[in-house]
Amino acid sequence: MSFLQALRAFFREAAINLARGWKVSLVAVLTITLSLFVGGAFLLVSGNLLASVERWRGEMRVVVYLQPGMAEDRVEALAGELRRGPGIAGVETVSAVAARERFQEAFPSLSDLVEGMGDEPLPPSLEVTPADPAHRPPELRAFLDSWRRRPEVSMVDDDREWLGQLENVVALLRAVGLALGVGLLVAAIFTIGSVIRLTAYLHSDEISILRLVGATEFYIRGPFYAEGFLQGLLGGFLATGFLWAGSALLHAQNPDALLTRLLAARFLTPAEAAALVGLGAGAGLVGAIASLRRERLTVAENEPAAE
Amino acid sequence: MIQFFQVSKRYPGGQTALDRVSFDIARGQFVFLTGASGAGKTSLLRLIFREDVPSEGQILVNGRNVSSIPPQKIPYLRRTIGVVFQDFRLISRKTVFENVTYLPRILGTDLTSQKKLAYQALRRVGLAHRLNAFPLELSGGEQQRVAIARALIHEPEILIADEPTGNLDPELSWDILRLFLEVNLRGTTVLLATHDREMIQRVGRRVLTLDAGRLILDQELQGIDPPRLEAPAEALEPPGPPVLEAAPEAGA
Repeated sequence: MSFLQALRAFFREAAINLARGWKVSLVAVLTITLSLFVGGAFLLVSGNLLASVERWRGEMRVVVYLQPGMAEDRVEALAGELRRGPGIAGVETVSAVAARERFQEAFPSLSDLVEGMGDEPLPPSLEVTPADPAHRPPELRAFLDSWRRRPEVSMVDDDREWLGQLENVVALLRAVGLALGVGLLVAAIFTIGSVIRLTAYLHSDEISILRLVGATEFYIRGPFYAEGFLQGLLGGFLATGFLWAGSALLHAQNPDALLTRLLAARFLTPAEAAALVGLGAGAGLVGAIASLRRERLTVAENEPAAE
Repeated sequence: MIQFFQVSKRYPGGQTALDRVSFDIARGQFVFLTGASGAGKTSLLRLIFREDVPSEGQILVNGRNVSSIPPQKIPYLRRTIGVVFQDFRLISRKTVFENVTYLPRILGTDLTSQKKLAYQALRRVGLAHRLNAFPLELSGGEQQRVAIARALIHEPEILIADEPTGNLDPELSWDILRLFLEVNLRGTTVLLATHDREMIQRVGRRVLTLDAGRLILDQELQGIDPPRLEAPAEALEPPGPPVLEAAPEAGA
């Protein structure tokens, strides 16, 4: 029998076993579906968040808030001083009036809050665009620190700082997802292994006959390996399907929501989806191989002969 | 064909199943293996198809030393030996066709050839018309015939039977025995274990007698009432529809 013929026979036998013992197989398939869904969900969310981080990285600025009520010429003088600093591409001045107008435009419902306060309630500010928005070289960091200590400055707000925190959150999210996914995958491998062992036990009578008539180990074990592979493959497809459905649901319900943009701006790439399905199939195969590694697949082989 | 040289078999608990057994069975012989329960008959048979290994001694089957055969070669040895058991060992969830075609499937034989082989093997045992039946739909005698068909499907060089009539009434036993004798007439070496002394006396042939694991007697017997073998088993087969067309799909 050629290898391809054998593979065809294994998968046919495995499919029959799956269909006949679907209740038991369902547990294994659902376990691997859950593990891949969780792992895939974390991958999807962290991937989308990272894409947002990358997008924001190019837009990061430093805002220097000045003391309220500062004269405009003094603001301009400070802006000129900032422009001469190291690693700074440009500085834009935002007057107190412009700051109030921006606030009212951004938060129309809170417009009254700043309207009735007499003097301009918001301080003027200087928006600094670094030469490299994504990075803060040491000389620029030192320069900005020196500005934090100046009496004309009330606060220096660097986007890079909160983005760094967001990157840490994403990395943590990814690590948690990976750990959870791996943990669940190991559980799934054990579940598939147990199901395969049970199936092998239920077929021990047939395995004895196969051995008796001259089947090789490869021929005997092949259908069980194929069954583990199919269970994992099915779990991989289901997990990818559920992830796609969840993503599509978010888009359908509120395509412009921040949550949708952050979590489901893009679905897994075909390569990622294929990797998820492949991981499921691989886990199933590993589970089957591991479960039968030390099994002789027949109970009575070494027992004394009865007469 | 089958040679035992000072073969002993001891199990881990200290039980001695065989004690320095030696004999030589030539190609085409029909040999009875007899002895009381626990005499070592099954242990001896298991050694021949390498279901077990001897503690001491050498066993040659068709010139090959089965004691030292590497594990990956065992399946190829077993494909040359047909084995029949007292409890039939048929798979109840599989049809007769599926039960008899395990070896052709292993060998990658195409479905058409599988059907042909199954038909021929079942015809020899008079059951070609039960190709699609399940074992539990058959009588004990019919189930044993299916087991024999499974053993014969690839024309083995050796046929081993362990108490094949132990679960059958005397009339059916006689039919089954006649099948073995017919198989032997076609050139297959047959080794049949039984404790039915009356059957042996009637049939005759060579008889190996074991007692507590030792070969105590190796004799040729003249049968007092040997079965008539001129009527082939096929003649027992009742008329039925063309069987090849009724064969199920392989693996179904």
